[in-house]
Amino acid sequence: MTLTKTKESSMKNSTTKDSQEKDKWYRIALSVVILLTVVTRFHKVLEPDHVCWDETHFGKMGSWYINRTFFFDVHPPLGKMLIALSGKLTGYNGTYPFEKPADKYNGTNYEGMRVFCTALGAAIVPMAFETVSDLTGSVQAAFISAGYIIFDVGMITLNQYILLDPPLLFFMAASVMGMVKVSKFTQNQSFTRRWWQWLMFTGTMIACTISVKFVGLFVVLLVGFQTISDLWNVLGDLSKPIFYSIYQLAARAFALILWPIILYIFFFYIHLSVLNKSGNGDGFYSSGFQSRLIGNSLYNASMPREVAYGAIITLKNHKTGGGYLHSHFHLYPKTVGARQQQVTTYTHKDDNNKWLIKPYDRETFGKKNVTIVKNGDLVRLEHFQTRRNLHSHNEKAPITVKHFQNGTGDANDIFKILIVNGREGDPIETVSTKFKLIHYFQHCAVTSPGKQLPKWGFEQQEVSCNPNLRDKNVLWNVEDNYFEMLPNVSFHVYAPSFISRFLESHAVMLQGNAGLKPKEGEITSRPWQWPINYKGQFFSGGNFRIYLLGNPIIWWSNLVFMALFLLTYFIAAVKQQRGYEESEEIQKKEYKWRSLNAGMWLFMGWILHYLPFWAMGRVLYFHHYFPAVIFNSMLTGVMFNYLAERMPNWMKHVAIGTIFGILSYSFKLFQPLAYGFADASTESNSTMFGLRWLESWEF
Amino acid sequence: MGTEIKSQENCENSLRNRKKKEALTQNNVLKSSEKSEVKPQNESKGKVENQQQIESTTKPQIHEERNDKSFRIRLEFDPMSVVLFTLAIITRFFKLSEPRNVVFDELHYGKYVSLYMRNVFFFEKHPPLGKQLIASAAYFAGYNGNNTFSKIGSEYSENVPIFWLRFIPALFGSLLVPVSYNLLLQLKINRWVATLGGLLIVFDNALLTQSRFILMEPMLILFSTSALLFLMRFLDSKYFSINWCLNGLLAGVFYSFSISVKYVGFYSYVLGGILVARHIWLELRDKTFSDLTIAMRIITKGILLVVIPTAIYLGIFHIHLNMLYKAGPHDSVMTSAFQASLEGGLASITHGQPLKVVHGSQITLRHTNGRPCWLHSHAQVYPVKYEDKRGSSHQQQVTCYSFKDVNNWWIVKRPSKVDFSIGDELDMIKDGDEIQLVHGLTSRALNSHDVAAPVSPQSQEVSCYIDYNISMPGQLLWRVEILNKEEEGIHWHAIKSQVRLVHVTTQTALRFTGRQLPQWGYNQHEIAADKNLNHPDTSDQKERERQLLKSEMIPMERTDLSFWQKFRELQSKMFWQSDTVQNHMYSSEPLEWPFLSKGIAYWYQKDTNAQIHLLGNIALWYSTTFSLLFYVAFLVFYLLRRRRQFIDLNDQEWRKFQDAGFTFLLGYLINFLPYFFVERTLFLHNYLPALIYKIYLLCFLIEHIHDILRRSNQNLIIFTYKVLVCSWLIYVFHVFRTFLIVSYGRTRLTTDDVMNLRWRDTWDFIFS
Repeated sequence: MTLTKTKESSMKNSTTKDSQEKDKWYRIALSVVILLTVVTRFHKVLEPDHVCWDETHFGKMGSWYINRTFFFDVHPPLGKMLIALSGKLTGYNGTYPFEKPADKYNGTNYEGMRVFCTALGAAIVPMAFETVSDLTGSVQAAFISAGYIIFDVGMITLNQYILLDPPLLFFMAASVMGMVKVSKFTQNQSFTRRWWQWLMFTGTMIACTISVKFVGLFVVLLVGFQTISDLWNVLGDLSKPIFYSIYQLAARAFALILWPIILYIFFFYIHLSVLNKSGNGDGFYSSGFQSRLIGNSLYNASMPREVAYGAIITLKNHKTGGGYLHSHFHLYPKTVGARQQQVTTYTHKDDNNKWLIKPYDRETFGKKNVTIVKNGDLVRLEHFQTRRNLHSHNEKAPITVKHFQNGTGDANDIFKILIVNGREGDPIETVSTKFKLIHYFQHCAVTSPGKQLPKWGFEQQEVSCNPNLRDKNVLWNVEDNYFEMLPNVSFHVYAPSFISRFLESHAVMLQGNAGLKPKEGEITSRPWQWPINYKGQFFSGGNFRIYLLGNPIIWWSNLVFMALFLLTYFIAAVKQQRGYEESEEIQKKEYKWRSLNAGMWLFMGWILHYLPFWAMGRVLYFHHYFPAVIFNSMLTGVMFNYLAERMPNWMKHVAIGTIFGILSYSFKLFQPLAYGFADASTESNSTMFGLRWLESWEF
Repeated sequence: MGTEIKSQENCENSLRNRKKKEALTQNNVLKSSEKSEVKPQNESKGKVENQQQIESTTKPQIHEERNDKSFRIRLEFDPMSVVLFTLAIITRFFKLSEPRNVVFDELHYGKYVSLYMRNVFFFEKHPPLGKQLIASAAYFAGYNGNNTFSKIGSEYSENVPIFWLRFIPALFGSLLVPVSYNLLLQLKINRWVATLGGLLIVFDNALLTQSRFILMEPMLILFSTSALLFLMRFLDSKYFSINWCLNGLLAGVFYSFSISVKYVGFYSYVLGGILVARHIWLELRDKTFSDLTIAMRIITKGILLVVIPTAIYLGIFHIHLNMLYKAGPHDSVMTSAFQASLEGGLASITHGQPLKVVHGSQITLRHTNGRPCWLHSHAQVYPVKYEDKRGSSHQQQVTCYSFKDVNNWWIVKRPSKVDFSIGDELDMIKDGDEIQLVHGLTSRALNSHDVAAPVSPQSQEVSCYIDYNISMPGQLLWRVEILNKEEEGIHWHAIKSQVRLVHVTTQTALRFTGRQLPQWGYNQHEIAADKNLNHPDTSDQKERERQLLKSEMIPMERTDLSFWQKFRELQSKMFWQSDTVQNHMYSSEPLEWPFLSKGIAYWYQKDTNAQIHLLGNIALWYSTTFSLLFYVAFLVFYLLRRRRQFIDLNDQEWRKFQDAGFTFLLGYLINFLPYFFVERTLFLHNYLPALIYKIYLLCFLIEHIHDILRRSNQNLIIFTYKVLVCSWLIYVFHVFRTFLIVSYGRTRLTTDDVMNLRWRDTWDFIFS
């Protein structure tokens, strides 16, 4: 490692002595960084001994993995699986409920998970050091970058708890480090063992990042851009044959595309095979999916394969996360259409979901000869509990005004069953057949538009009759089927394969993510607030307060240095374009552009991890900005070093000394935010009160 | 074709117009008979044809006319422009006043135009220029603005000059054709291919349909395309020459026009910015210019393309706000001060009221932070038990109501005084005073008890006190805290003072919670009393929002806001007005657009099945979509080859290839990609600005392939290629003809006819 480092960093003109000197400094700096990191991160890692903030979610999910009960979450599984694994290995048995923040742990083995997450979070610092050192070839720059990350109290706070962010940030930083290494070795050492190692490492890390949270996509993009740039350079090297470029392309396609996809799918495979017991997430998934979960009513269920007249069935809407067709004794309120009995969809299983299927023209069905319901049949559906028929008439539906209202208990209640892509005479099969229910007179399809009814409808979902028959929410399938005359068959046969379950989980996750919209009147954190450190987040309240807030000195100076960087880059680019650079020394020019290009990649990382949030409609939180902060801190290191190198020697030392002085002093001031402080809101003379530099900080 | 007859009417119509008198008639005399059908229609902007004649009598006074002058320079030498324009006019204007019904969004825009006619203020989130243009045409046609535009399909009454209302969009839609032709020429594209480009635009059903009704897109597209045309000329012309100046000016003017029609015009402006930046960047390389020269050039460009457009944009809003000086239906969106500045607005209702709030003042209290609503009460009481089994005080409800209502009025009362008589000496209320607020209609006083509020149980219920004679005496005292007393003084003033009302016995502040009450509260908004702001209990809640109800008194005199104040308010409301995403039957997703998966039913006649349906020319749309892929493929191919030092295109060709990419491909992407991040309800017509660029790109590609083939020097191949292109064009024309019946909507259709048109089963035509 260090040997090649030396080889690399020694410029053409520098003597061996220089490089030895540099190597020494490199080792000293790295040890200092690691030491400081360990000290700051693991200080008070086990306090407070109660559930903090989102630990309530991720701890809970860890428990579910350990208990193997199925659940639904909008994030991919890797982060939670790692938390569960670390918990399991350190003796946590999955019994603690993680009910709400501030619940005491009371002897639960939570320490393992905390320490594991903190360790991941701590590893970010040396990796950032490596990244900057490789990008610029300057130990000094790397050291300042690392200092910026070490002394950021926000980074410490976020990385000390059982959250998804430590693994996310860890994998992200590792991907970036791998990317830089690959790029560095590409020039002279392509296809060596070391090059392959780093290439595969990068591929693995990007797969892991995106398997923790979907925001990992941004780092994938960054790596993609860097790869394209590398390949472009390779292609432009006319001393190499064209096949060399093709090999390069193939190697990267394998390591950075194919291999991550395999890994990603593999993580889901583990996820789906570990969680094989029925849990609270079942209702989000289709009937077929549920039949794979032990304890679910569909697991190994045996019921008739086909639906016959007289059978009692439940109908599930086929969209992702669709509920069961449901009705109950309550009527629609006066102001909403006709006063008929409500029909809704409901995601939980209930006796009120049961319907009796009848032919359109008679009440009785032959006890002897069983008639199977076929494609195109006209049927009536009777609500089993209230003995009323599903019905529709030309009235405005409660919420979706254009549709007709559904109610039960009248004669206008004949529906036609239309199987999707079905031929005439196809039977309706349990679970596997998708069909539309089309009202015979109004020619509209029974739909669940996915809107919630108000209080009077118990906040279940609205059902309406939609004249647009191609709406994607009009499909239903039979889930339960009770009928004595037909033989029961084992259900397991229809269970979907891994791939279809994999795809379905994604559809449900996507919908879940899209559904995380801020509710009316709810205030979410806005992206413009983040870089200026406008407002933090409480992690823990009561007498042991933890408040997630970036070190303002670090964050604000980060912005200053970024602006400086953009200005410098712009001026340099214009100068280059104007041809003013020709007079400069080659070595100086090379050094300048190496720094500036390093800065450009880091800036791109920052932009990629920040800008997309502006376009997101979902609920956003302050901690979404932390990946971008890491890039910004690294950029500051690069930029500071760039400026310092142009100063006389004595001034350089003063500058570096000053900045470390300021960093550590600000850390000392703000460290209570991360390590805990008591409630001091009323005493205006307390230390924390003096630190409220911005009105918007809430501690 | 019936155009002959129509041109007669038009002559008469235009003669009736007050504005253009002799000049026009003179022109008419000069004109050759062949073109006379076109001329009278060129009204406000379209002097194009007139000036094509030799006449030297034109008076270049305003920008628009000057633009036509430079525009004319091309046209004069180019009969092709004239032919294309004529063709466009024929298709766009054919039976323009049919159907005499409200078609699709004419519902909205027609309504706004009517409001312009009556000078009534309205609020819309699009800027005003498009509506102003149409309104000016309507004004000359003598429209009085009395049509209601009640619903799509309803018939226009006799006094609506529907032809003239639709005139501007149709004219602009027609002008797009020669402008596109010239734009293609400007990019050094072959005359024939440019003609082809013009024809393709004529033959697109979506552009045709969109140009025939009172809709904004034709203007938006024409302005942004002309801006691009003049920008290209600007960048090509010699520095600081007259041409340079004129073209730059026009580009700036048209950019600001397109932004002032719809804000999406900004995307074209961004494209222009990128093109200029690229031009500057390439120029930097040229060492023959000094740094100072370059800086000067950048500054002048900035003035022409940034400062002037901004000024025009402001001017348009100035006209807008000056024209609409009467109160209207959307007043409640704006602040009271704004409303009071409108004639017949708030001020006329409250006219004569004193500025100061005194004992006995009748006031309404408006919540100022966020949603506008007024403190309201009505005779109904809170239900005894809520659904979650909590009990209430069973007192009279107090809510926040978003509309003006007599129940919003309250009377200010000093607790010490018995009657409401104001007396000779005004008893002014100032900061810190304790008052009672008595509801005007029910004469009950504002009260709060230690009872949980209906929807936000952590807060305290606010009610109007009814004395049930049980052991719950009223707690009716409220302390007035003026929040901006530094600026407005300690006395409570109308609108200007922001007031917090603090309940004296419980030290809680009156607050708008943002939640809606259930059915029993008529879905009005909840008002509660919240624990004092000054003592936030800093428990670990994530976000704690405390919007206090600040009150505001309605101004009693007509306020006189400056343009800037009005502009700032209107502008911020326009930007922050959030759209509710509604599920429209014909709304579509951006991904559905390139392949035309869904049209929009614009109008439908029940008994004949005749209908107007916005659908593109599917042959053209598919071709353009594939042209994108082809261009990108070519680009990647060339780039990779060049990287290995294989030079396929010489410098000039490569430059042209890049230019096409930078203008057309980039233009397409800039106008298309943002829609993926938009959360509004989107429609097919949002795609049309992007479509234009795709058509241009297709033209470039047709020429590019031709150029490549020509290198082979095999006449047979070139000939085959030409035949292929021609037959493709004929096919495009055939498709255009086929779908013309749903563009014009004049043909009676049987169910089979409709089914035959349904080439894709995702197209939802209406039929019975």
